Amino acid sequence: MNQIVSIGTSHHVAPVEFREKLAFSEEQLIESLHHLRESHKVDEAVILSTCNRVEVYGVANSQRTAESPIKILLDFLSDYHRISVDTLKKWSYRHHNLDTIQHLFRVTSSLDSMVVGESQILGQVKEAYDFSRSAGGAGAILNRLFAKAFSVGKRIRSETTIATGAVSISYAAVELAKKIFNTLEDKTVAIIGAGEMSELTAKHLVTNGVSKVIVANRTYERAVKIAEKFKGIPIAYEENLNFLIDADIVISSTDAPYYLIERKPLAEIMRKRKHRYMFLIDIAVPRDIEPDVSKINHAFLYNIDDLEAVVASNLKERQQEAVRAEQIVSEEAKRFHDQLQILEVNPTIKALHQQFQQIAETELQACVDKTELSGTQEAAVASMTQAIVKKLLHHPVENLRHAVNDGNADHGQYVHALQELFALDDNDDKEQE
Amino acid sequence: MHFLFLVTVLVYLAAGIFQLLYLTIGERSETPTLRPRIALIAFWGTCLGFALLTLFIVLWWSRQGHFPMKHWTDSTAFFAWAITLIYLIVVRVTQLRAIGSLVIPGAFITILISYSFSRNTSALPENLETYWLVPHITLIFLAYAAFFTAFGFGLLYLMAEKKIRQKTNTIFHNLFPSLGASDELGYRCTILGVILLTIGIIVGALLTQYIKDLTWRWLDSQIFFTFVTWVIYVVQISVRQLWGWRGRKAAYSEIVGFVAVLCTYIGVNLFLDSTHTFR
Repeated sequence: MNQIVSIGTSHHVAPVEFREKLAFSEEQLIESLHHLRESHKVDEAVILSTCNRVEVYGVANSQRTAESPIKILLDFLSDYHRISVDTLKKWSYRHHNLDTIQHLFRVTSSLDSMVVGESQILGQVKEAYDFSRSAGGAGAILNRLFAKAFSVGKRIRSETTIATGAVSISYAAVELAKKIFNTLEDKTVAIIGAGEMSELTAKHLVTNGVSKVIVANRTYERAVKIAEKFKGIPIAYEENLNFLIDADIVISSTDAPYYLIERKPLAEIMRKRKHRYMFLIDIAVPRDIEPDVSKINHAFLYNIDDLEAVVASNLKERQQEAVRAEQIVSEEAKRFHDQLQILEVNPTIKALHQQFQQIAETELQACVDKTELSGTQEAAVASMTQAIVKKLLHHPVENLRHAVNDGNADHGQYVHALQELFALDDNDDKEQE
Repeated sequence: MHFLFLVTVLVYLAAGIFQLLYLTIGERSETPTLRPRIALIAFWGTCLGFALLTLFIVLWWSRQGHFPMKHWTDSTAFFAWAITLIYLIVVRVTQLRAIGSLVIPGAFITILISYSFSRNTSALPENLETYWLVPHITLIFLAYAAFFTAFGFGLLYLMAEKKIRQKTNTIFHNLFPSLGASDELGYRCTILGVILLTIGIIVGALLTQYIKDLTWRWLDSQIFFTFVTWVIYVVQISVRQLWGWRGRKAAYSEIVGFVAVLCTYIGVNLFLDSTHTFR
């Protein structure tokens, strides 16, 4: 019977020093996929190699190979990367059939990712699968498995809130801006001071439509330097904060030991800008913006703690949703596993039916030729043979299906026995599947 | 006829409940799958209610033989119709569904009032049987409905602003339109209302020229209070243009304005005497 197995390592079980040893380059991928197929030990293979995980998925027919398929993959990795099997075992996880399916579904649903709900993993798996398929690695079963894994990944993202809500400070700031402004398209963002976080936030705001960037710094040269990154307008400021009149979003991260923006001057600026909304983000410690600023009408102030609280609550929400997502994944994995197994026994059942039917028809014809039956008599005999065939096959087929649904019984043995006892040849059917 | 009205009321009840659910089921974890369905039922329920109500008004009109606008039943049913029409236009133009959660339950209450009076009918005074009455009343009720929608946006603004200032981040919060959107739409509804009301008043003034025995009386309580409402809204628009009174102040004035509308509509009808009373 076909077995789906996988071996892999990820940030959950192994440090980067080990993961990098297992990583595959593109040429190595082609080479190894060929090697795996050529050796005739596995029928299908897909290799997924990203910075956080390296995983090999394989399908092997247990009738053809005496070795356990997991051992085949283990030996292959150990040979290819020259790592001892014991080390490999220590830093990796190995899955078999249902567990493999469930693991892949968890990966595409981003439940196994460092940040639950992140969006990149689905694309990465797709890329790896497309690559393995074009290199001749994936076949009928893995094609089916990966197609299902992508649809489960999409289902999880649309039916749970696992992928909603910003989980980084800079995205949280963008989301808040969208809650305040009708559109970001004609808005202006001002960055005061320098810092990775403020630049990142400004970058996200620009990708979300903000059209104008003002970069203010105490020294003009520094302002110019940062402004180049956004095609922004560099400004050197002393005490005068009048450039804020045009600013809809203000990100402040200077190392000033006092409040740079105080309530009274800002209230005056708000008046000059006709009370259009202003969203102020204070990511400096010590703070740059007087907290009382938030009492000004239409000025919305968030400091670093507020943003972190937003991120924390989003993360918590994602974790709660992850529990529900895990349930969906388990159900989908179980269903897919059952479907696969039914597909495995179907050719045998079909062959059995065909054989019985053929015998019945031949014998019926011989009987009709020998005796002179009237029309109604012939019809009666024909329906009797049909009934006999049906009843003879009823129990074997039912029990075989039961063996499939009952995970403990080895339906592979049944199929094997049936094929041997009745001299069935279902290989042709299998190729078509 | 009566049965049709009952069905309409029930459809509005169901639509109102689903509209409310759309905003309030926010915290449960199964909402991502549930909410789109609720939104769909709420929207199409409202459409169905609107169709039934239109049918009812048309039938009622043809049965009475004149524009049905004498009794409370008539005017409140018409008000509900106008509210729904404005809601459908807003959804069509902006795709923002949240306003329905406030406005459609309001429409249900109006139509319920209408239903509870529906056994009464009364004839229009002969001198008022003119087609000029139709645009006059239609315009003014559409204006009221626009003011009601502006009131709804004002409430949405205040709720969303409170959430942003409290710095709480929930799904519930995510359903609100952005502050800018609520503010802008509230303003547009107000302008629409003022335009409709102004034309409505002019048509009403013209009526006095065409109808015998009907004179323009400044002291007619309805006319007086309508002018007060008109002034409130015009001042609101001017102040916004001149001094940038937007956001919270605009939201408050939209609420005050609608209270004035209610006073004109209900107060005058119940407690004062006027050519305009619906009784």
